Amino acid sequence: MRFFSQSFLYDDPWPIVSLAFFLRYPNPYASHVISCDVISRQFTPSGSLLTTRIILKTSTLPRWAPRGIISRSESWILEESEVDPHGKVVRCLTRNLDHVKALQIRETQTFNQVEEGKTLQTTEARIVSRFGWGLTKQIENYGLARFRKNVQRV
Amino acid sequence: MAHSLEERCTPLKLEYDSCFNSWFEGYLEPAVSVSASSENRAKYSREKAEEYERKCGKIWASYRDCVQKAVEDKGLDGLLEQARTENPLKEPPRMS
Repeated sequence: MRFFSQSFLYDDPWPIVSLAFFLRYPNPYASHVISCDVISRQFTPSGSLLTTRIILKTSTLPRWAPRGIISRSESWILEESEVDPHGKVVRCLTRNLDHVKALQIRETQTFNQVEEGKTLQTTEARIVSRFGWGLTKQIENYGLARFRKNVQRV
Repeated sequence: MAHSLEERCTPLKLEYDSCFNSWFEGYLEPAVSVSASSENRAKYSREKAEEYERKCGKIWASYRDCVQKAVEDKGLDGLLEQARTENPLKEPPRMS
C-alpha cells in the first residue's frame, strides 16, 4: 500500500471553495472526464446533503502495462460526498469501481472553514494493488506518482 | 465533459445541474444567526429541502430515471452493488 497526504489553505471563504469543488467538471484541465452523473442525492435528518456521483475517466496506460489483461484504459469512479452548511464542512470519498485488483485508489477530501474567509483542504489517498506477478510494487508506485502529478494539475 | 454516461440523458442532466447549482449556492450560505441555534438550523434545513423539491424535484425525477435505466443497461448496477458489499460505506468518513 502507498499513502498520500496533502493539505492546502485557501484564502477564500468556505462557500466559494465548496461550490468550486462541486462545479469542477467540466473544466479545460479535466479533458479526461468523459461523463459525470448524480445517481443519488438526499438530505440527512440533521440537514446535510449527501450526494453520490458516478464519473467515467480515461487515462493512458504505462508502457509496461500487460496488454490483454488490462484492456481498457477507462475507469468508473464513485464519489460520495456530504455537505454540512452549518458546520461548514465538505467530506468526499472517491474510489474506482473497476480494475480494482490491478489498482484501487481511495481518496478522502475534506474542506473545512478554519476561520472566517479561510478554507482548509486536506487530501488523503490510499493506493493498493493486488495484481501480483511481481508487478504489485511497480503498479502502486506508478499509481502514487500519477496521483501526485494529477493533484498538482487540478 | 459535462455529458451524461448516456447521451439521451445529457439534456436532462444539463437542465438538472443548472437548477441544482443555483439552489446549492444559496444552501451553502446560511446566515450566521441561523447556524447558531439548533432550532433555526432544523427550520433552515426543512425550508431548503422544500425549496429544492419545489424547484428541482421534477427535473431530478426525470433525470434520475433516465440515468438509473442507463446504469442498469450498462451493467453498472452490479459494479455498484459489489463496491458497497466489499467496502461498506453508508456515508463519507467522519472527522474525529
